[in-house]
Amino acid sequence: MRKLKIKTGDSGWQEGMAKSITFIVTKDCQLACKYCYLVGKNEKERMSFDVAKAAIDYILDRENKQNFAFESVVWEFIGGEPFLEIDLIDRICDYIKQELFRRDHHWFNSYRFSFSTNGINYHSDKVQKFIEKNRQHLSIGITIDGTRRKHDLNRIWKGNGPERGSYDDVVRNIPLWLQQFPGAGTKVTISSEDIPYICESVLHLYELGIRQVNINCVFEVVWKEGDDMLFEEQLVQLADIIIDKGYYQDYSCSFFTEHMGKPMDCKYQNQNWCGAGKMLSIDAKGNFYPCTRFAQYSLRDKEAWIIGNINDGIDNNKLRPFLTLDRCTQSSPECIDCEVAEGCAWCQGENFDAAKTHTVYERATAICKMHKARVRANNYYWNKLYRKLELEGKREEYEQNKKQSNDVIC
Amino acid sequence: MKPYLQYLVILLDDTSVAYCHANNPLTEPKLIPLDTLRKAILFGMKQNLMIQFVYPNYELPVEYHKVIESIDHIKIGREVLVYDSVPQMAYTNNLVLRLTINEFITKQNDIASLLQQAKRINICLTDTENFQEEQMEEYKNALATLNAVLLNLYKQVKSPQLNILTDRMQLTEMHNCGAGISNITIAPNGKFYLCPAFYYDEQMGISNRMNHKTKDASRSVGDLDNGIDIPNKQLLQLDHAPLCRICDAYHCKRCIWLNQKMTWDNNTPSRQQCVLAHLERNAARDLQLALKEVGYLIKNEIKEITYLDPFDIKEEY
Repeated sequence: MRKLKIKTGDSGWQEGMAKSITFIVTKDCQLACKYCYLVGKNEKERMSFDVAKAAIDYILDRENKQNFAFESVVWEFIGGEPFLEIDLIDRICDYIKQELFRRDHHWFNSYRFSFSTNGINYHSDKVQKFIEKNRQHLSIGITIDGTRRKHDLNRIWKGNGPERGSYDDVVRNIPLWLQQFPGAGTKVTISSEDIPYICESVLHLYELGIRQVNINCVFEVVWKEGDDMLFEEQLVQLADIIIDKGYYQDYSCSFFTEHMGKPMDCKYQNQNWCGAGKMLSIDAKGNFYPCTRFAQYSLRDKEAWIIGNINDGIDNNKLRPFLTLDRCTQSSPECIDCEVAEGCAWCQGENFDAAKTHTVYERATAICKMHKARVRANNYYWNKLYRKLELEGKREEYEQNKKQSNDVIC
Repeated sequence: MKPYLQYLVILLDDTSVAYCHANNPLTEPKLIPLDTLRKAILFGMKQNLMIQFVYPNYELPVEYHKVIESIDHIKIGREVLVYDSVPQMAYTNNLVLRLTINEFITKQNDIASLLQQAKRINICLTDTENFQEEQMEEYKNALATLNAVLLNLYKQVKSPQLNILTDRMQLTEMHNCGAGISNITIAPNGKFYLCPAFYYDEQMGISNRMNHKTKDASRSVGDLDNGIDIPNKQLLQLDHAPLCRICDAYHCKRCIWLNQKMTWDNNTPSRQQCVLAHLERNAARDLQLALKEVGYLIKNEIKEITYLDPFDIKEEY
């Protein structure tokens, strides 16, 4: 008899122990995804090697000092589309490795280079050469949104003329990617228009061989009347298929987790959701941000929250609001008293952008009804799965073997 | 009891004296229109607020006196004298000294002399944002000097108050500036502001980090016609300030304007504000212990602590 397995989402590499440092190497991208929160993308702001080098020197000069006392480090490259700047990235990564070695820095044995890419250039010689060179220290996530019709609804090529989806340009690289990174997951974004395609899309990604689907609804104010009901319907359909066909054993979908939908305590469950402030982002001008979402190209209504730069260093006063954030202080009484609060996510950058005042302490709640719909579907999923396991006599085995789940949001 | 609005600060002129951390950069006199003044007083009466008029350095037209005297009030810049230096003599019992940190340190002996004459001195540091940790020892020493003077006076059964040392000894809970919570300011333009500093910033066109949805520099939180409307008012309250609610530097001004200027969030103090307040708190503890030794009955003993910034111990909460 096959041993019972239930796949849960993988935790990030060295989660909680790694400093995340993000280089915004370019604000350009081949695509113009309709749900993209980057409102200020452009072709001009490309990072120079000198800016990257100065940032690396600043960071490595502060080994184990304030803001950098972490066991490990994740050097993240983001855009726009980071692989548009593969030559620069290759040079930056070489410099990082050389400097870590030269300085005998403790991160030399504990670093990762991480990428979130649209996958279009993945097969190119330069990207492949880079992968080959850094294979042991790489995490790469390719974003594919699901079926062709779901993917092409939002993820379209930039430029004038008729809309052109990018599905074919991405899907051709999925086999190579999965061959190189077999456990890799993709990140799927749900906006109002693509709710009807959630179920088919997750199943399609499973068929492509992607075993981990990290999926979330956008945090912005986009949701229409009735979206929550439609969303719930899609998730229930998906739950039925995942359970009936046994996908739960080898595949995960982050919409379904045991750890959500319960009331929360303000004393014992008061942690902030996201890591803004613990991370560090650097842009082409050499400015530092608490997270990429606080750079100007990510903000609709607010001025960028710059916490310093490569010349003057970090102004720790500008980080204090982030490092003292907790769940309840930024939540409305309705959120604090919510009976299904557990698992309800937020993005600190969107909170800031949508806030009435200049603060990171006002939680945006555009996602509220979608979360509640997700909770209902999630309850359905687990009730159905538990019953199935009970009937098969496997429930006890499951309880004994289960791992902690992990929600991947940003 | 939950804090509530108790005080209405009325700036009689654009050049009304600065009496707190922020300097008044406005140099052109602009008197509050008499009609606006009447409306402001009426607002205060109806809301049951104690009115504090802030005077300019010139004599007001005679018709203003009658209106001002129509209500119980305090005169800042007249009864409460405000100095931007240390005067030789205390001409009133109650005075405010607005000093830079360096001035406070170098003029500690002059302040000590004033303590022998005044009943209460409020020290207001005007450059908290520039405080360097290298200045800590000097600041501590200046506080120790003033502690010694206060101790001597207490021994003589005199009990002058020096806000940064004696207030903490009396307090059992946070007693901060209360801008937007226990007090609100009306400017000569008839609009409400959290405190005068926000009005100064608006008038100087300093980038707005308060009502961020508007692209202009507006900092007002309502007007006399439509009432007070403070967006995210909860963030001015102690229970929405993660660092301050765990802190026992109860006398700290917890200046919202400085918070916004230094950390960009109303509810988060800068390291400078915290460290200065804790140096004062610890000095107040020393004074309390010294008073205990000479026989004073101490009710609320200030505990010994090992940090100067609650940020450093936030993980424990």
